[in-house]
This record gives sequence, structure tokens and C-alpha cells, in this order.
Amino acid sequence: MTSGRPNLFTTEAVVLRHSDLGEADRLLWLLTPQRGVIRATARGARKPGSKLGGHIDLLCYVKLSIREGRELHGISQADTIDAFRNVRTDLGRLSRGLNIGELAERVSVEDAPAPAVFRLLVNSLGWLATTQNADTLVRWFALRLMTITGFKPELGACVDCGNELEPDDHVFSAERGGLLCPSCRSQGSDALHPASLGTIKVLRHLARSDFPAVESLNIGAEERRQIERILRSHTNFVIGRGVLSSAFLDEVRDWPEVGPVPGGIRAD
Amino acid sequence: MNSNSTPSAAPPVARLIEAFSRLPGVGPKSAQRLTYFMIRMPREEAEALAEALISVKDRIVLCSKCLNITEDPVCAVCTNERRDRTRICVVEEPLDVLALERTRAYEGLYHVLHGSISPVNGIGAEQLKIRELLDRLRDETVTELILATNPNLEGEATSMYLQRLISPLGIKVTRLARGLSSGADLEYADEMTLANALEGRAEVAVDKETSTE
Ligand SMILES: [Zn+2]
Ligand SMILES: [Zn+2]
Repeated sequence: MTSGRPNLFTTEAVVLRHSDLGEADRLLWLLTPQRGVIRATARGARKPGSKLGGHIDLLCYVKLSIREGRELHGISQADTIDAFRNVRTDLGRLSRGLNIGELAERVSVEDAPAPAVFRLLVNSLGWLATTQNADTLVRWFALRLMTITGFKPELGACVDCGNELEPDDHVFSAERGGLLCPSCRSQGSDALHPASLGTIKVLRHLARSDFPAVESLNIGAEERRQIERILRSHTNFVIGRGVLSSAFLDEVRDWPEVGPVPGGIRAD
Repeated sequence: MNSNSTPSAAPPVARLIEAFSRLPGVGPKSAQRLTYFMIRMPREEAEALAEALISVKDRIVLCSKCLNITEDPVCAVCTNERRDRTRICVVEEPLDVLALERTRAYEGLYHVLHGSISPVNGIGAEQLKIRELLDRLRDETVTELILATNPNLEGEATSMYLQRLISPLGIKVTRLARGLSSGADLEYADEMTLANALEGRAEVAVDKETSTE
């Protein structure tokens, strides 16, 4: 991917986090296919009229030219591939976009290639822009992310004894990484989450399908609650702490769709 | 802390370098430069600087109404009888008030949130001065709330959040127009800016008398 000049490379990236740097610069945490998470500075990005500024907002999918640095890279050019406008102009979609972005960042390592995670995130942000089932997308994303990074929860057999699970209600242990049969559930003192037969069926369906195949799946309220608890405890266990953006997602989850405030004067 | 800080510096020097490097926008190199500049500074100047720092900490408070920084319990804008009390402009930081005041184009009041909603940094509405804003809207005679958060994802999220909270109160909610910045080339504009500029486009008024030429 290196160009003719040394120390310069081009890469696709999704902007996952930023902080202010200096008078008018920004420091960015980027997810890239070949280098995983990298940190790069964008000079002057906070000034109005900056050629970089508008392209490198959070959740922008961009193509970047980057000068390689020993500690920090420097962005020399940025072009938007997709800003996922529908995601950023609706509070509900936006809260979910930040949530899956944070998950992707947490499982990625600096300078380690992550092409599958990158592709998953870009595709998911694209779906998030149009889907009517954003919560299903977030759950599908979490399950797929865990699967491609090697932390797929065991949903087929008992994670402890390996015995086939009867088609019945069971429990899930994040600590042990999967469903437990009735005789194994009492061994150990880890937190157990109920997983009804319906919940288990939906989880298995989510785990083996691509998003378009599960997008319009009708999931009951109780199943949704169980799946949410199971997937959250599992991802939190894998990444070692809570996901910060979940609090905001929970706060706005049930809000009616909130679009951007229109420019200029609004009379209503 | 940083590999660039001077390991051999005397403790008071190292302490000052460390203190400077905590400032926003100051890296280890600048922290060293500032420190050695201050070592050469006359004692009176150093004392004046230290005194200024202490008095900022001792005397600056947040205005009890708009939460801007001020020396008085209520700031000069909030006490000014000539300001339009039916409008409140919501900004993220005290510096944004300064920027808007410099335009001399706004005569209403302000409300400083002290940040923006930043879910990935764990900053939600409860860490901002939003409850104080709602109290003001309940107690004062405000008819228009102008959202002037930064035109980035977190600023937009904050605006959308406030709009959701405040629209049901029957208060008109508006926002600053977004679009191309003066002096920028169209070809460098990003997709969002161009889309916003298109959305906010205004009819070009043609002056009949000058256009007949
Ligand atoms: Zn078992
Ligand atoms: Zn005030």
C-alpha cells in the first residue's frame, strides 16, 4: 500500500475516537484494515475551512494519505468514502453507531491487521444508515465481532461438559463463554443469565446468518431482553470492562426518532 | 512520565515541566521550553504570573444563571438590562461565548454546557449543565433557544438531544446555519458540509437596478 515516496502510505479508515491537540489540531484513533487501530494527528482540523476537518469526524469512512511517524502518524490528505449521513443525523442510529464503533476499537490492537473487523464495521454502519431494526443490527454485530475475533460464545453444546443441549430453557455464563446444561449450571459461582429456548434459537440464527437475513426477524420483548443481557455480559467479559457508549444508547433507545434540528428559524 | 522529559533535571524543574505538560496543547518539548523560559524570568514577573493563577482559581466562579465563567455571582451579560431575555444561545464552552460576543450580532443571553455529549468517552447529558438549562427554561420567559454547539458529531448529538428535551416545552428551537466556511474552496468541502449547505441554501436576491447593466 505504500506509495512511491517513503514514509507515506494510503489507507482506508473509520474514525472511532478523537481528542483535541494543540491550538487547532486533532488526535484521531482510526480503525484500518491493515494496521488495526492507529493514532494519527490532523493538523489544523479544528479550524473552519480546514481541508481535513470535515472529513475526519467520528464514524466517517475515509481514505487517508498518512505520513508515517515513530509515535504518531500525520494525516496529509483525507477524502470521504461514506459519512453515513443517516447515522449521524438521527440520535437513535448515532448512539448505536458509536456503540459498534467502540466495540470494534476495543477488540482491535494497535498495528495488528484487522481486515475482517474493518469490513464488518463498514458494512454495519452502511446497514445502520437504512435499517428499521437498529437494535437487531447491534446484537448481530456484537455476535459477529466476537466470532471473527475468536470469542464466539458456545451456543450449540454445553460449554462445560460438551453434551448436546436438550431443546429447552438453559442459562448462559459469560465467564465460561457459553450455554450450560442443567447439571453444569450449579458448578461454579459465576453469574448466570437465563436463556429461554426462543432466545437460544434467535442467538443461533443471528450467529450463522448475514445481517440482511435476520434484519426483519421478529424478536419478542422477553427474548430481546435476554439476548441483550447475554451479549453484553459476554462482550464486557471479553474486552475486560463495560462499553462506555452503552449508557447513552440505553438512555435514547426508546426515544422516538429524533432528526437533526433544521437550520434557520423553526416555527413549530 | 514522558520519555522526552529531562530525567536529570532538578526536582523543582522537573515538577514545573510536568505541570506544564498537563496543559492542553503543550507537549513535552514545549513544556521544557516554557520551563526554561520561566527560570530566566525576573522574580517579579514570576510572582505576578503565580498571583494571576491563584486569583483565577480564587475569584473565578460560574455565573449562577448562564454558567459562564465570571468574577461575580451573576455575569455581566446576565445582569445587562439591555440584553434580550427571551432568547438563550446554548454553547459548549465559555470560549464560544467570547467568539459570539465578538460578532456583536447577538443580543440575547447564553447558556454554557461545559462540554458536549460524548458517549465513547462516557460523557452523557448528566455531566453537562443541562438540568440547569431546563430550570432556566422553566423559571424564565424564554421563547427561543438557539443551539450553537460545534458542527461535529458530538455537537450534533448534543443539539439533537436538547431539541428532543425542549421542543415539547413549546419553546422555539433553532440552530446556527451550517455550511461552507468563508474562504473555503468548494472542491475541498466534505460531503456533510456540502449537504448542509445545500439544505440551508437561500434565495439569491437580485437587485434589479444593478443587474440591468
Ligand atoms: Zn454441561
Ligand atoms: Zn451569566
